[in-house]
Amino acid sequence: MNSVGEGCTDLKREYDQCFNRWFAEKFLKGDRSGDPCTEMFKKYQHCVQKAIKEKDIPIDGVEFMGPNKDKP
Amino acid sequence: MKIWTSEHVFNHPWETVTKAAMQKYPNPMNPGVVGVDVLNRHVDTQGRLCSNRLLSTEWGLPSLAKTLIGITRTNTYIQENSVVDPKEKTFELQSSNISCTNIVSVDEKLTYRPHPQDPQKTILTQEALISVKGISLSSYLEGLMAKTISANAGKGREAMEWVIRRLNTEIEELAATAQATIRIPMAAAVTEK
Repeated sequence: MNSVGEGCTDLKREYDQCFNRWFAEKFLKGDRSGDPCTEMFKKYQHCVQKAIKEKDIPIDGVEFMGPNKDKP
Repeated sequence: MKIWTSEHVFNHPWETVTKAAMQKYPNPMNPGVVGVDVLNRHVDTQGRLCSNRLLSTEWGLPSLAKTLIGITRTNTYIQENSVVDPKEKTFELQSSNISCTNIVSVDEKLTYRPHPQDPQKTILTQEALISVKGISLSSYLEGLMAKTISANAGKGREAMEWVIRRLNTEIEELAATAQATIRIPMAAAVTEK
């Protein structure tokens, strides 16, 4: 599966692999230990943000924050 | 306003279905979905995973239509919000089309949860909702209905008061007439009320 930003596809695939593993093996089994994918996600998210701006996609109400910030 | 709902049972446990739903694309049944991106994701204080995703879809327009309409890009985007609650075993997704003129939008809501009678199965409930200008049509109509109901209820109470007053007046008039003809027994009965 590709990313909306062509240049972000590799970062996306790396993140997805990490996330899917954590999701299935830890999160769904009730393991609350931290998400190991945060660094990967930051890089990927940064790339996607740029692509969205470039393509002028009107995203509604999304705050692009790092996964460590608390949601208000 | 719900315009359509449906239910479907998967013969797989909830965890399996949830893992699959999270990785739904690409798949041969949805060739139009060409991109999936996670815009944001976090685990909330209740331990639920909240994700905000962008789905990019592409649809083929005959080239004549493209010329007439003047559309060069045939991409549409869908924004999806989802919550996975591993304790309650629910996976809820809500998605809506993104467009520049969001007057009417059709939203879709999906909920996956274990089948109440068989934990080895999963039940998916799907709903389509319509909103007008971001205000859910159902809340607009419900608001109208609520106002009418409460107005009628108010009128109903006023009407009751009126009827009770009228009945009391009739009783008093009756009592006054009765007093003039039959003396103590009737008066005693009426005042006892």
